[in-house]
Amino acid sequence: MSTALNRAKRMIASPVGRVLLALALMLVLGLVFNADGTFLRWTTHRDILRQVSVYGILACGMTIVIVTGGIDLSVSSVLAAAAVGFSLLTIHSGWNAAGAIALVMAGGAAAGAMSGVLVGRLKVPSFIVTLAAMVFLRGFAKHLSGGQKVSTYVQETGDVVPLPAIFEQIDAHILADIVPIVTLVFLACILATAFVLRQLRLGRYLYATGGNDEAARLSGVPVPRVLIMAYALSGLFAAIAGICQAAQERQGDPETGTGYELQAIAMVVIGGTDLAGGRGGIALTLVGVLTIGYLQKILSINAVGEASRLMLTGAIIVCAVLLQRRK
Amino acid sequence: MKVPVSIRVWGVVAMTALVSSCSGQKDKGEGGDKAADQAATPTGAEAPAATAPGGSQPEAGKAPASPAAPRVIGMSQCNLGEPWRVQMNEDIRKAAESHADLKVVFKDAQNDSLVQRSHLEEFVAQKVDLILVSPKEAAPLTEPVAKAYRAGIPVIVLDRAVLQDEYTTFIGADNVKIGREAGKWVAQALGGKGAIVELKGLMTSAPGQDRHKGFLEGLELDKHPDLKIVFDADMQWLEPNARREMESALARHRKIDLVYAHNDPGAHGAWLAAKQTSREKAIKFVGIDALPHEGVQYVKDSILDVTFQYPTGGAEAIDAARKILAGETVPKKIELSTRLFTKDTLAQGGQAIQ
Repeated sequence: MSTALNRAKRMIASPVGRVLLALALMLVLGLVFNADGTFLRWTTHRDILRQVSVYGILACGMTIVIVTGGIDLSVSSVLAAAAVGFSLLTIHSGWNAAGAIALVMAGGAAAGAMSGVLVGRLKVPSFIVTLAAMVFLRGFAKHLSGGQKVSTYVQETGDVVPLPAIFEQIDAHILADIVPIVTLVFLACILATAFVLRQLRLGRYLYATGGNDEAARLSGVPVPRVLIMAYALSGLFAAIAGICQAAQERQGDPETGTGYELQAIAMVVIGGTDLAGGRGGIALTLVGVLTIGYLQKILSINAVGEASRLMLTGAIIVCAVLLQRRK
Repeated sequence: MKVPVSIRVWGVVAMTALVSSCSGQKDKGEGGDKAADQAATPTGAEAPAATAPGGSQPEAGKAPASPAAPRVIGMSQCNLGEPWRVQMNEDIRKAAESHADLKVVFKDAQNDSLVQRSHLEEFVAQKVDLILVSPKEAAPLTEPVAKAYRAGIPVIVLDRAVLQDEYTTFIGADNVKIGREAGKWVAQALGGKGAIVELKGLMTSAPGQDRHKGFLEGLELDKHPDLKIVFDADMQWLEPNARREMESALARHRKIDLVYAHNDPGAHGAWLAAKQTSREKAIKFVGIDALPHEGVQYVKDSILDVTFQYPTGGAEAIDAARKILAGETVPKKIELSTRLFTKDTLAQGGQAIQ
């Protein structure tokens, strides 16, 4: 009996236990404030999974960058540029879906790699580099789109062209209307991130770089190249998130996703990944993603007013991070 | 990394910023003066007619322009992040194109009152013939507008008013009235009975408050006891937020008869949410703004049942500008009327509401 209790105590004290505790608190909160049983319906939980997917995909790339001890503020702008680029290619330039997705993903990775070069080779702090990239790419998204939302409307002629099927396909549910495609994309991103961090040599290099880049360099880790890879992956994930965002909005909005980078950072931090680098992982980020997703849903189904929502969100993020702190 | 401490500090900065920014406290959104917290009615609004100092004696103080030299109009737009404002510029450009003697110079203040103030100063320095300004905020731009006006340049204020009355004319629409029309339409369309979801624009902005206030006035809930707003949420003019909130509403309420969103993208987001659960046919969708390729297109595609136009006033501004430049007088306030677009009235370009 007492050993079981001890084991439970140890569980709660472990990083995983503490992250799960935050999520468990959310679930309890949801059960208490269930909005006439809405929280108990499975469709509510499906909706949460769909709603967190775009943030979650961003959080995958963000986890990789934060593990290296950096930060990537540009993800929201990469997302917007990708949404615009994807919409332009598929709706107006007649590209097929696969080609457009490949090109947009390559573009996202290239944009990330450029930040990576500045951080890795030129040693500019990542906050500055990605802040600049955030501003630049938001401008690029507006430039690409001519300041307009890219929808099925053709500015020059005033005509409306049909929406390519890929938009509804990405926004659909499969398996008897149960699993949203965007959630599957999110899960694939989680698995890919886990693979990179755990199975590849690159993963060990990422942790080594974040832990102590000087020591990593001395022991033969190609630190600049590792950093370029980290930011390129973050850009790649942000581009995927942008395609999902465009599909869900049925258009490429150059203003979309503003502030999403901070959501992603919060999710990673609640997941217990250390902002100083070298520690953390994607499994915990997934729990962080769910924690914020559940919080937002509970506030939403209870129609909590905007002012209270902001205060509660802030307070709960602080609590979750405190819960996370290593003793 | 060599800068873990600074990164930790930045992390704190980011977390602090989260609270304000994750919630989408942005100045964006479709219609009119959505971020105009300070929007105020011009004190001289009811003055019957005013003559522009530069307009009453159009050629005084200036050498008569040669017939080839066009009259220059400076236009300062507070930001071009909102499609509605892009449309306003487009309307102005289109209206001016048909007059060879007019040349419009466009400037974008990028949501910065001080940038907009410098636009006005530049226009005065360049001695343009007339200024159009769609101000970001009333208070910081009142004085710059007054200075230009005192310098003898007629100023037409668009959409958001400035304080005091040192300008030539104000052109804008009334959000309370549009909300009221929407409320009346809804009460009638539902036959005085039904469950309504209201997706509000940013409720700290004047247009959000006005569209809500007018809607309640038009609904007359005390006269229609069976009409209920069963769910409402602040979607901050953003389509993804509207979709999210609508999903909550759908999960919570088995029966929803109508969604009233404060802008068309909000209504579109709600429709997408309803479509996901195959409930979109049972629900009516009402939006506001009616941009040609947004709300009007949604009506054409049978997504929205109705959208109420929030007119940009671009064409009317050029109209008034030509009158002023020709030395005619224009009223101190020109209120734009709204039009409603339903599938039946699309062909005739919407139906005017008196």
